[in-house]
Amino acid sequence: MAFPKKGFSEVAKITLILATLLAAACAHTVRVDGQYPQPVGTQMPLTVGVYLSEDFRKYSYHEDSEDRDEWTIDTGRAQKNLFETVLGSMFTETIPLASYPQNLPKDVELVIVPEVRELQFTMPRETRVNIFEVWIKYDMHAYDQQGNAIANWVITAYGKTPTAFLKSREDALAQAINVALRDAGATLYTGFAKVPELQALLANKQRALSMKTSVPTDTTATE
Amino acid sequence: MVRALFVLTLVLLNGCTTVVIDEYRRSNGELAKGDSVVILGRRHSSDYETEPDLIECVGNKLNNPALGVKVIPEQQFVDAMYPWFEPRTAPLHLKSLDHLMAVPEVRERLEAFGVKYIVWIDGSTETTSSAGSIGCSIGTAGAGCFGFGTWDNESDYEASVWDFRDRELSGKLSADAKGTSYMPAIVIPIPLIARVQTNACKGMAAQLQQFLLPNQANNNS
Repeated sequence: MAFPKKGFSEVAKITLILATLLAAACAHTVRVDGQYPQPVGTQMPLTVGVYLSEDFRKYSYHEDSEDRDEWTIDTGRAQKNLFETVLGSMFTETIPLASYPQNLPKDVELVIVPEVRELQFTMPRETRVNIFEVWIKYDMHAYDQQGNAIANWVITAYGKTPTAFLKSREDALAQAINVALRDAGATLYTGFAKVPELQALLANKQRALSMKTSVPTDTTATE
Repeated sequence: MVRALFVLTLVLLNGCTTVVIDEYRRSNGELAKGDSVVILGRRHSSDYETEPDLIECVGNKLNNPALGVKVIPEQQFVDAMYPWFEPRTAPLHLKSLDHLMAVPEVRERLEAFGVKYIVWIDGSTETTSSAGSIGCSIGTAGAGCFGFGTWDNESDYEASVWDFRDRELSGKLSADAKGTSYMPAIVIPIPLIARVQTNACKGMAAQLQQFLLPNQANNNS
């Protein structure tokens, strides 16, 4: 049986549309748009520059393996919000940097540059546990005014969410990513002063500040 | 008439659930005017998670400002105290609470909330077994499903009540609920759902109310 020329092109068109629809059915896109609360605690006495590169601000994870559906996970906007909020509350002064190492303001004592090292996730079907899980690993870099590396440390974040009735896989995964990002913020906030090099930097700064405040008192006493 | 029939149908369509509540009390609840209670879910375990909707359910049932119980919603509290009550940073023991109180800003905020009790709920509801099968077909004459399905749900929750001001464990209570749901299908599937988690929530909320307001409970009895 031979298709007429026009009829065959119609069949080809329908096949193409069906194939596209089938491919789209197996492709998932998750866009995370989180807003995060400001941390509560004592601010560290430092003027810090924060450089969030374009790769970081527009980070998107893409996975297309044989044993999984195709996934595109866009966490750039959410992690930009998170790092801006958390770092903005951690120090006495935080300056967002549009470029680095060019045009660095003179009063900046430390520059923090985060990078995403990896993102992983598992589905309930894969682990046979009724939860969606996400891991995100960040490489954190700290530089001084001259661009010398002061410290490098890693933040590992974990988030999970239980499967819920009538919730799509995309929504569940977005929720797990939000939990992971909150965890990243918590680890950044509570772990910063535990990095030995940064601990030393903070101790020096606090010593310098306490000496500065004690000098006028001493002068008055001698007078 | 229609409403009564609807309610009756809903009652009949519920599967059976049994709930067992146990309690260990070290001291009676003392809620003064302006005091508040926070109910939080434990989320540090890797293989289960205390469901946020259960925490919300217990909080909603317990919240009764007229009786003197003011419950702070979980998300509002966790956001206001960020990052100290996240799954990996939340205090697991009362001693850890002392470390947290060493941060002046955290102490001030907790005092501003008027927190008297922190109730930690740990546990989950799981489907333990299922059996049966339902088949659906569609044809020129119409569509329909035939078969029978059944599954068991189990809830296992434990609540620890911390007296935030006195820094002591006031007591613990547990709620174990079990129920079997059925779904016969003769053309249309009819779900007879056992509301295991909801019943565990109701049981825990009632017990917590007795715990926090013992005088109120005595007056009622």
